[in-house]
Amino acid sequence: MTIAQNKASSETASQPQPPNLPKRKIALGFGIAFVVIFCLAPALWQVLTSFKVNDAIATVPNVYLPNPDQLTFDHYINLFNRRPFLLYILNSLFVAATATLIALATGAPAAYALARLRIPGEKVLVAIVLIVTLFPYVLLFLGLFEVVKALNLGNNYLALIIPYAGKNLPLTILVLRTFFQQLPKELEDSAKIDGYNTVQMLVRIVLPMTVPALVTTGILAFIFAWNEFIFALTFVTKESMKTIPVATAQIGGSSIFEIPYGPIAAATVAGTIPLVLVVLFFQRRIVQGLTAGAVKG
Amino acid sequence: MMRLQETVKSFFRGISIRKKLKPLIVFLATVISIPLLIVAVQSQQPVTVKVLIQALEAAQLEPIVKDFEAENPDINLEIVEAPNDTNKVEDLYTSAFLLGESPYDLVYMDIVWTPKFAAAGWLKDLSDRVSQEELDQFLDGDVNGGMYDGGLYRMPFRSDAGMLYYRSDWLKDAGYEPPETFSELMKISQALQEEGYTDWGYVWQGKQYEGLSAMFVEILEGFDAFWVNPETLEVGLDQPNAIEAVKFLRSTIEENVSPPGVTTYSEEPTRRLFQNGETAFLRNWPYVYGLASESDIAGKFAIKPMPHAPKGSNGACQGGWGMGIAKNTDHPEEAWRVVKYFSQAKTQKKYALQTGYVPSRRELFNDSELVEKYSYLPELLNVIENAVLRPPIAQYSQASDILQRYLSAAIAGTMEPEKAMNAAARETRTLLKRSQS
Amino acid sequence: MKLNSIRQREQLTGWLLSLPALIIFILVFAYPIGRAFWLSLFTENLGTQLEPIFTGLENYARMFGDGRFWNSLGNTAIFTFFSLLLELLFGIIIALVLDQQFRARGIVRTIGILPWALPTAVMGLAWEWIFNDQYGVVNDILRGLGIIDSGITWLGDPTRAMFALILADVWKTTPFIAVILLAGLQAIPQDLYEARSIDGATPIQNFFTITLPLIAPQMIIALLFRFAQAFGIFELVTVMTGGGPAGSTETVSLYIYDTVMRYLDFGYGAALIVITFLILIIAVAIAGFILSKTDVNVTGEQ
Repeated sequence: MTIAQNKASSETASQPQPPNLPKRKIALGFGIAFVVIFCLAPALWQVLTSFKVNDAIATVPNVYLPNPDQLTFDHYINLFNRRPFLLYILNSLFVAATATLIALATGAPAAYALARLRIPGEKVLVAIVLIVTLFPYVLLFLGLFEVVKALNLGNNYLALIIPYAGKNLPLTILVLRTFFQQLPKELEDSAKIDGYNTVQMLVRIVLPMTVPALVTTGILAFIFAWNEFIFALTFVTKESMKTIPVATAQIGGSSIFEIPYGPIAAATVAGTIPLVLVVLFFQRRIVQGLTAGAVKG
Repeated sequence: MMRLQETVKSFFRGISIRKKLKPLIVFLATVISIPLLIVAVQSQQPVTVKVLIQALEAAQLEPIVKDFEAENPDINLEIVEAPNDTNKVEDLYTSAFLLGESPYDLVYMDIVWTPKFAAAGWLKDLSDRVSQEELDQFLDGDVNGGMYDGGLYRMPFRSDAGMLYYRSDWLKDAGYEPPETFSELMKISQALQEEGYTDWGYVWQGKQYEGLSAMFVEILEGFDAFWVNPETLEVGLDQPNAIEAVKFLRSTIEENVSPPGVTTYSEEPTRRLFQNGETAFLRNWPYVYGLASESDIAGKFAIKPMPHAPKGSNGACQGGWGMGIAKNTDHPEEAWRVVKYFSQAKTQKKYALQTGYVPSRRELFNDSELVEKYSYLPELLNVIENAVLRPPIAQYSQASDILQRYLSAAIAGTMEPEKAMNAAARETRTLLKRSQS
Repeated sequence: MKLNSIRQREQLTGWLLSLPALIIFILVFAYPIGRAFWLSLFTENLGTQLEPIFTGLENYARMFGDGRFWNSLGNTAIFTFFSLLLELLFGIIIALVLDQQFRARGIVRTIGILPWALPTAVMGLAWEWIFNDQYGVVNDILRGLGIIDSGITWLGDPTRAMFALILADVWKTTPFIAVILLAGLQAIPQDLYEARSIDGATPIQNFFTITLPLIAPQMIIALLFRFAQAFGIFELVTVMTGGGPAGSTETVSLYIYDTVMRYLDFGYGAALIVITFLILIIAVAIAGFILSKTDVNVTGEQ
């Protein structure tokens, strides 16, 4: 294990104190182990549960290393056979993806306007956008419910897509605005001199440069939309249109006094795999987006 | 000028949007198009009538549904599975109806939901479709529980009522008659406990949940007290009789007749205590009879209506499930055929034989085949004929939640009974005052 | 003159560009909040046949006598306070670890943000299972360590249920705080530490004299975000305890949701929303004030 030159260890390096180095190593080792166990253990337990036969799930002491005969795919097979679980996944994907696109498509121009075009009251607008980021969903659902009813959007994907896009707009605008502000202004000036109008310049020159930022915010928006619960619970009541979080939470057992932990565990795993993939591929972008969104705000 | 243009161009080349955005766009586009395809593929079918039922009972109903579909090939009765927590089922129906276009044509209702659903205008009035003669075939409590504001919104399917289970073997052995009053109940319990028959005398449901309200309705009736008068919306929780009822419940714990844990028990823990021979008396629903008959105490117990104070009468809380028709269904006639099928004697009998649930038609309590299997049915009819409803008011669930909070605090001893009931009455009045305005 | 018209055109374009976003904003934020304020002046429930009847501030008066409201507010405060405290603590630890350089740091970072990315409602179910009183792994481990003899009820006991909820929330959202603090850590110039080390300061001293003060702004920002989220916590509680046992874990948002969607008491629900909204705004104002006192010259990653 190499402890390379970082700020913390560089100071020890400047004062040669050999016994200090292993101490540091040990502390770091413990730290890493803590992070990994703390973050992974609950999720892995669920994965393990999802592959165990019922007898191995409901037993004391718990089975940590199941024998081959205690393993099964049944919970997954049931999940896709007894309920339209594939449909739930597709619903989630569709709603989250569309909401993401709308958030980007409406957020990017607004962010540009706030960054470059001197709109009166710009500061107030930015402050409002900022505060709005903080609103919990529960403050909005009553009013949104009426909007959904008034527009006759109940049990329509739009009833989720529009609120999700809206919930993601503030973050999108804040992050993209920062990116736009950091672009060299000369590019736009020269583009204007070459005869581009604002929209053309935006589409042809500015937007391409902000692709990384778009991807970053897009991924955050996708995760938020995938995970949302309260709107999905309220605005969609049709079984075939439910999204993953709600559908999973509503899995019922065939006996009144026990909760079907096997199928629920399988649903947990199957319903979060897309997100795990997103995190695996875009870890850096997520970290960037989170810090840009929060710190810039 | 030229230089700047060059910069722009080189920047472009360096960044190459297509390459970077392409995976994201392809991903998003694929994802968006799949559900659209699925929707397009779905085709037309015979009339489908949908109903939401908790998963456990949905499974039990499967044979009934099969029979129905065999007799009615033009109707496809689809049961959507709901979670087993009945509160959650109520919430699912509620949000479905609030949204407007309900995905359900039928509503499988607990008796206490009916006023709310009817008051909100989500159910069709069925009174024109059923004659009084037909209704007379059913238990009064079940029919009344389906009425709201003069209309009939729910046809009874299966019934339920609370009652007293007792260990007939011990009582006989120790020379006691089954208790008629609460004080007898206490006296016999203590005697049996002293003589070493059992650890506990009487167990009941004291957990903070709907079952607590149901149980309390019976005690209130026993003390000639009331909760809410559905006609005048008068609240009786802070009247002396009601406070006495609370004090009685509290005293069962204080005098060691009931275990302290009773304040956290729902039906199942109390049933287990009874079956394990740890208590002489139990307040519970009919489902216990079948299960207890297959346990070690088979043949050693009996049922009777709940006891009462001298001034009151024995109360049994009316429970039960039935079917209503959603107001905005596209298939009211088909839905009605389902309701009729479920309410008829043949179906109820078959279901009772299969599951042990209690039918809602009077005649079935003396049906030879049913009595052969469930010998307690004639006795049960006695109990269930006197069943009392929980207040059939539109805001029942809200009122019940208020009562549960304060009653639970009172029996757990964290609040004085007077104080608790005064607070409960005050909040209930605030709640109902609004409904008169 | 010409300059002026260019500016005007620019502004017009600016508004046009913002228009779609603005419409969504009004639909999703402005209208619902405004509507809640308006509706809170009416009584609209099952008792009024769901017709709105103007009753002024009566809904707010009712709130004072509503024991359940105060109970849920108290629960929310307890939940928020302890969640934030623990998250900050663990967040700092995780951020310090992730700030070090070691092999496989990328993988550890990925693992570190995983809990944050998973759906709360779904992971709430996982936690419910972990805290199951019969077969739960928490009881199994405690039994294995000899701390308890038989399984204890976690979610059926008021205090322990709250503890379980807080732990699940800490697991879920500590990564968020850690990521924000990490950005703060990375912005600290190394020479600060070097200078201090020459003076003979220990790493622990350094942590308190340099690290903590310098990441204070990030801490406040992270806490503000988390305060808003924790105060509105809904899905975790719904899924794990449903507010029980006996309302001991019912939070304000659960009560609001029940009032509206279960009791159909729309006017009163709106009043509850308004009060929650105002509490949030006050918190934002306080945090904003503190931030304005510190030197928030924080640059993000870019």
